[in-house]
Parts: sequence; structure tokens; C-alpha cells
Amino acid sequence: MKKLCGVVAMMSLALISILGIAACGGSGGSGTGSGGEGDGDRTMRATYGTFPEALDPALDYSQEGWTAMGEIYLPLLTYKHAEGTEGSEVVPGLAEDLPEISDDGKTYSLTLRPGLKYSDGTPVKASDFTATVERLFKINSPGSFFYSKIVGAAEFEETEKGGISGIETDDETGEISIELEAPSSTFTNELAMLFVALVPAGTPAEDQTATPIPATGPYMIDNVKSGRSWEYDRNPEWAKANSEAMPDYPSGYMDHIEATEITNPETQVDEIEQGKAQWMQNLVPSDRYAEVKNEFEGTQFKSAPTNSTYFFWLNNKKAPFSDLKVRQAVNYAVSGEALERIYAGQLTAGQQILPPGMPGYEEIDLYPYDLEKAKELVEEADPKDRKVTVWTNNESPTQEAGEYLEGVLNEIGLQASLKVVNAKNYFDLVGNESTPDLDAGYVAWFQDYPNPNNFLQPLFSTEAIAATGATNLSRYSNPEVDEKIAKLAEEPLGSEQEAEYAELDLQLMEEAAAAPYGSLSISTFVSEEIDLDKVIFNPTLGQFLTSFEYK
Amino acid sequence: MAPDSPPAAPERARTRGPWALAGRRFLRNRTAVAAAVVFALIVVFVLSAPLWADRVAGTGPNQSHTLEKIEVGGEERDVVSVEGLPIGPQWLGAGGKFFLGADGRLGRDEMVRLMYGGRTSLLVGISAAALITVIAVVLGLLAGYFRGWVDTAIARTLDVIWSLPVFLIGLSVGVSLALGGLNLGPVELSGGSLLIPIGIIAIFSLPYVARPVRGQVIALSEMEFVEAATAQGAGPLRLMWSEILPNLASTIIVFATLTVANSMLFEAGLSFLGAGVQPPNSSWGLMVSNGVGLLNTQPLLAIAPGLMIMLTVLSLNLVGDGLREALDPRSAARVEVRGGTIPAEGAEGAL
Repeated sequence: MKKLCGVVAMMSLALISILGIAACGGSGGSGTGSGGEGDGDRTMRATYGTFPEALDPALDYSQEGWTAMGEIYLPLLTYKHAEGTEGSEVVPGLAEDLPEISDDGKTYSLTLRPGLKYSDGTPVKASDFTATVERLFKINSPGSFFYSKIVGAAEFEETEKGGISGIETDDETGEISIELEAPSSTFTNELAMLFVALVPAGTPAEDQTATPIPATGPYMIDNVKSGRSWEYDRNPEWAKANSEAMPDYPSGYMDHIEATEITNPETQVDEIEQGKAQWMQNLVPSDRYAEVKNEFEGTQFKSAPTNSTYFFWLNNKKAPFSDLKVRQAVNYAVSGEALERIYAGQLTAGQQILPPGMPGYEEIDLYPYDLEKAKELVEEADPKDRKVTVWTNNESPTQEAGEYLEGVLNEIGLQASLKVVNAKNYFDLVGNESTPDLDAGYVAWFQDYPNPNNFLQPLFSTEAIAATGATNLSRYSNPEVDEKIAKLAEEPLGSEQEAEYAELDLQLMEEAAAAPYGSLSISTFVSEEIDLDKVIFNPTLGQFLTSFEYK
Repeated sequence: MAPDSPPAAPERARTRGPWALAGRRFLRNRTAVAAAVVFALIVVFVLSAPLWADRVAGTGPNQSHTLEKIEVGGEERDVVSVEGLPIGPQWLGAGGKFFLGADGRLGRDEMVRLMYGGRTSLLVGISAAALITVIAVVLGLLAGYFRGWVDTAIARTLDVIWSLPVFLIGLSVGVSLALGGLNLGPVELSGGSLLIPIGIIAIFSLPYVARPVRGQVIALSEMEFVEAATAQGAGPLRLMWSEILPNLASTIIVFATLTVANSMLFEAGLSFLGAGVQPPNSSWGLMVSNGVGLLNTQPLLAIAPGLMIMLTVLSLNLVGDGLREALDPRSAARVEVRGGTIPAEGAEGAL
């Protein structure tokens, strides 16, 4: 009896331990600053699921980073403080006006607004733009390739000497002239990217996360604890100088913002509901989405579509997906409705490359869900090699999407097996030609700017197939398509170009280059005291920090 | 006068063999017997997986039902709702389908996965334990019998393995092999092969069995019966096989039982962290990992496999304890003598 009691006690303790350990979230962070007005300071606490890749505008190429720094480091051009399509409009940032583009489309002229200063009091100069672009190449920025089209940039990238001949600046007048190798329909947008947010000349060509670069926007970053937290305070030079030079740019309501990394999204949701944090940057986790949406929609929760495409890449160069019929079979077999449920309602199903909201989008419905048709096509194709490795990462719901594809491929007559890798290594692995068994997998692409070229060129042009860091994971290669993409890249985007992009989208789907399945909506979830209606979600930069206000 | 009948031969006393005695002692241990029954039920439960999948649930462990509906009490319900919420436990409300509910947004039957997952967990646990036991006994015999440089080489190797942060190294190796598989000469294993977690568990658990076996072999090697066998001309192999190994039997049996439990825990941990059994296959550890993400809405998805791990490990540990007491009652007697429960001479016939 004594031994049995001991056993029962042990079992109870073990059960309690399992529940306790499973329920504990990695709350991390300092947990200070619950928000609210006190001592005249308006403070807010934000939580991020992942610390940005870098708090350095030259290095970060992630949604977290662009949201964290989008209003701190300002480029010559920026995006309108608006949501939806309006938010995709490029407007002047540190430049007085949008660029004047020469008739041949190769020369861009801008003028820096006078009187601008960095948060450390240093004047912002036109030559800082040259230093900023040069720094991209010195620091091996992931965004440097956007600016390789500037005359002299390619040489500078190799030698890091002699400057970039295609950029001319005059610090006295603030004039900046940029000459391109060839016309580009996307360069105006590329001037609005965070990569070319001006930084003081002489900023070291290494990651400045630990010692944040002086800011030009309404806030500056300080008190960085790398991998854990950082803070925003008002940029003293904004009130003194920059806000006058940029009267249309909002100054922000909050005086102080604390950003903390909390890796467990469940904990983030709990903290918002309890008012311990005012906003969570990353998505509400799938298993809480319905609960949060039903309880808080309209008061603390809203979602907005993004210009993104989620799809399964299929290696066009290898059997069985080198066969058109097999690729078409996959498109027939993948059910958008099933994937919408797998993404807990955060995905809107679609079967094309260009997302709704992207110029050039015209709805395509070539492959209505039909499992029997898919099986027939595979049978007709009768591929000799039916073995397929499906790659996915270990984050939910991406892992489930990969498992779904693996199940579907097995159902239609292929022999699929799943490979789940850590999310941090996923794209390095599947974008590396030396990785074996690259047959099919998951990929999501979000716009860098609202131009169809930003989807078609990196995802389906031959030049995007690389030994490492490839973005054309389907290894799709069609010289005719390459030519069309290159031609459209040089033409300003108008209705004619949009129609041609729509045709390209259709062609890619007729060739079943990949198996797209939808676009994501991004949620904004705030605590009770925040005025949800004032929070602006921009399709490129995410939520604007300046838009958070207490009710 | 009739001649006297010769005296009757004395009746031979009835004796029980040592194994029978051990069995009797084990059966008297109610806790151990109850634990053995629980473990047996668990084995029956997991072996019934194909039966349940075919006859009751009507689905396999990896089959998705995201868009399907089932009838519960005359009403049609989504297996996975439009918002991605999996159906909860139906118990017998849908004829046994989705008894424990769906496992997540893929809409797989949790009960079927629990049963098949148990097969995987037990298979990995038992296979790893078998491998550990065989290798550990061989190494322990060689090290303990030959001593000298053989002992040094083996013991130091075990020391090195023992000194490593077992779980961290096991995890790193597991993740890397799960990704690329194993290609070592003629040995080719895919990343999803169960032999990978079995091998990792076996290697890193080896010292925990090999060292005690080695210690026992050293002690046995110095006993008189071994000396006598040596004097009669027995060679090392015969001594190890015929004289020493039988006397290790009880130790081996106890360690094997306990090692199954430890191996299952190791596998659960590796799978929880993505380095053990690979999806879409299930094991209890992997199911706990997947269930943690749904703890707020469907806690049973994590609790059910967690409970199975706990029951299995606990029952195996109790059986192991019972076996140890039954096979070596001197260990129990030593405890009881020290505790003053029985007099020093009062132990029941030892083996």
C-alpha cells in the first residue's frame, strides 16, 4: 500500500510536471513597461517572435526588420502612410520630390531636403547617399544586387575602390544624380527600400546592431540587447529640424517603445489579452487565430491581405517534375480550400504567381481541384522516377503544408517522402544546388515593392537559378520568358505592361512551372487600450510605429 | 518369522530451481506484477493499431482529412473547421472515428496515430535496448575479463562517451543525420530511417550498461569456479560464455528492462526536438511536440502521448525493480538488514 501510494504520488507529480512544462512559454524579455501614461511619457511595449536579422538597414531583409526600422532610417523615397493599394504609393522621403527621370530612362535626379539632421546632430548630406550605397557592397548586403544596375557599381563591388562613378552628389545644393546601365521600371521603388536609407558617411562596414546607427526618422533605436530586446525613443533632431523639413511625415504618438523578443506566440497572445504588451508584431498562431478573431475582431484585431504568394516549387529540371503532365497533376491535386484550413483561415486560396493587389493581376483558374484528374495525368505520364523528396521547414503551419503536399503526392501515384529542416536554414539548403534530392518544397514570397517584376524575375527567370542562394527554386528556365521579363523590367509600369505581365502569369501557369496555393493575410492584434482604427498596416513596411495611439 | 523388509529409501526433498524461485518472488511483488500487466496492456494496445485503423477508424495514421466531415449524433461536423480548428475527442460518438479527435489542421486521427506512434516508440526503445545490451555485454566481458590494455581502451572510450553532454550531442547528430541520412561505406540510411535514432540512443547509452557489466565481470573473474574452470583447461571464450555469462544473466535482464524505459525517454526527447522520428510518421515524443502548439485548444493532443510515455516508462521501471529484487534477493535483504526489518541470517534461499 505504501509503495502504491508512492507510485500514485510519483505519477501525479509527473503528470503535473508534463502539463506545467508544456504550458510554460518562453516569455523571455525584460517584462518591463506595461504601457500606459505615466509621468507624461507615453510608453508602449511591443513583442516580436523573432529578433530582426540585424538592426542595421543595410543588412536586414526580413519583415521583422523592415517593420522595426522602416520609420527610423529613412531613404530618399518612402511609402505613403496608408494601408492597401494606397500604401504602395511611393512618396518623397528625405528627398524633396519624386525623381526626375531622363528621357532615356537611365538618369534619376533628386534633391535632398535642406536642414535634415541625424539623431546625433550630424547634418544629412547628399554625399551620404553615395556612402550608403557603397556600404551595401562593402558589407555584402543581401540587397546590394538591387543597385548593381548603377553605372560603376559592378566595378566597385569587385574592387571596393574608386567610388561608384554613376552617382554624383553636391552637398551644397543637395542634388543627387544616379545613372543606370539600362532603364529600369523598378528603380524608383528600389530607392524606397530600407537598404538605401541614408546613414552617415563613415558608418563602419559591419553590423551596427549593437551600436545603432543615428536615425533620421521620428524615433531612434537604443538600448539594444542583441537577440532579446531594444527600445525606441524620440529622435531629438526630429522635433528640432526634420519634422519641419518633412511636414507630411507623422511624428508619432508614443514617446517610448520597448520591443521584446518572445519566441512563444501563445505567450504573446496571452500578454496582449492581459494588457502586459500592447502589440505583437508576428502573426497570431494558427491555433489561437479563430479564438482571437471571433473575440476581438474590430476592437483589438484586424487583418489585411498582403501581396504575397505561397506556392510549392517543383524542380522542372528533374524527373518526375520535368514532365509537364506531372506538374499539372500536382496543380490539380492541391486543394486551396484544404490549405486555407491548414493556415487557419489566414490564407486566401489562389492558383497563380501574381497575388491579388499586384499590378498585372488577372484571376486565373486553370486547375480546379480534381484528384482523379491528377491521378490520370500521372498515369499518362508514367514517370520512371517517381521518388520525390518534399522539403519544408519546422514552423507551423509551413510544416503542415509540406506534410499535406507529401500526402497528396503519394495519393496521386508518386513516392514522396518528407524532409523537415530548421526554418533558419531552409532557404540556404533548398537554394543550394549541392543539396541532394531537391524535388519539391514550400516557398513564400512577399513583395519588396508593388511591381510584378519583383515576383517574376527572382522566382522564374533563368538568371535566378544560382549555385547558392537561388530564388528560382523551381529551376524553371524559358528563354522566351526571360526575354519578356527583361524587356518589361526596362519599361515604366503602365496598363500595357500590366497586361503583358498578366499574360506571363498565365503562361507560367499553363506550363505549371510551380503549384501556387494562395496569399497570406497579416493580422494586427493590439491590447485594449490601443486605438485599433489608427494602426496602419503598410503592405511593404508592416505596421507603422507612428500610428500606435492610446484610445 | 518373516525376514525384515529392506528400509525404504528416504524421500527426496522437493526443491525449486533458482529461476522458479525468482519467478515466485516476482509474483509475490504486487506492484511489479501490476506494472507488468500495465506494460502488457500497452503492448497489446499498440499492436492493435492496424485492427483499430481498419475496423474502427477506417483510416491510416498519416492520412489527412482536412476537408472531410463526419457524422456525430446525426449531425455532420467538419474534421477541421474553416478556421483551422481540429475536431475534438468524439469518443464513441462517431463509431470510434476520431476517438481522441483530430491531431491538428491535417485532420489525422489522433487515436490511430497514438497507437502507431506507440509501435514506433516501443520499437525504437526495445531495439535500442537490445543493441545496447548486446554491445555492452560484449564490451563488459572483454574489458572485465582481459583487463590490461583491452580494459583501458574500452573503459576510456566509455568514459569519453559518458563525459559528453549526451542529449546535446545526440540532438546535434540526430538533426544532421535526419537531414542528410547516413552514407558510410556500404551503409546507406535515409534521413527518415528509424535506425538513425536507434543507433544514436545505443551509442550514447552504452556506458550506462557496459560499465556495471564490466564491474561484475571483474568480480566474477576472481571467483573460485572460474579459477577451477581455468585449471581444467578452459580457454577465455569458453570461460566467458559458459562460466561468467550465465552469472550475469540476472544483471542483464534487469538492465535490459530499465534500458528500454530510458531508451524510450531518450527517443521521446529526440523526437520532441526534431532529431528522432521524422514526420509524417508519429512517435509519442513527436506527438507531444506537435500537441504543444495546440495546448490551449486541444490539450489532449499533448497529454495523451505524454501519459503513454509516462505509463510505459513507469511500468518498465517498476518491473525492472521487481526483477532485480526477485533475481537478487540479497540486494533486498541487504536493504532490509540495514533497515533492521529482518535479521541478518533471515534471507530466503539465494540463487
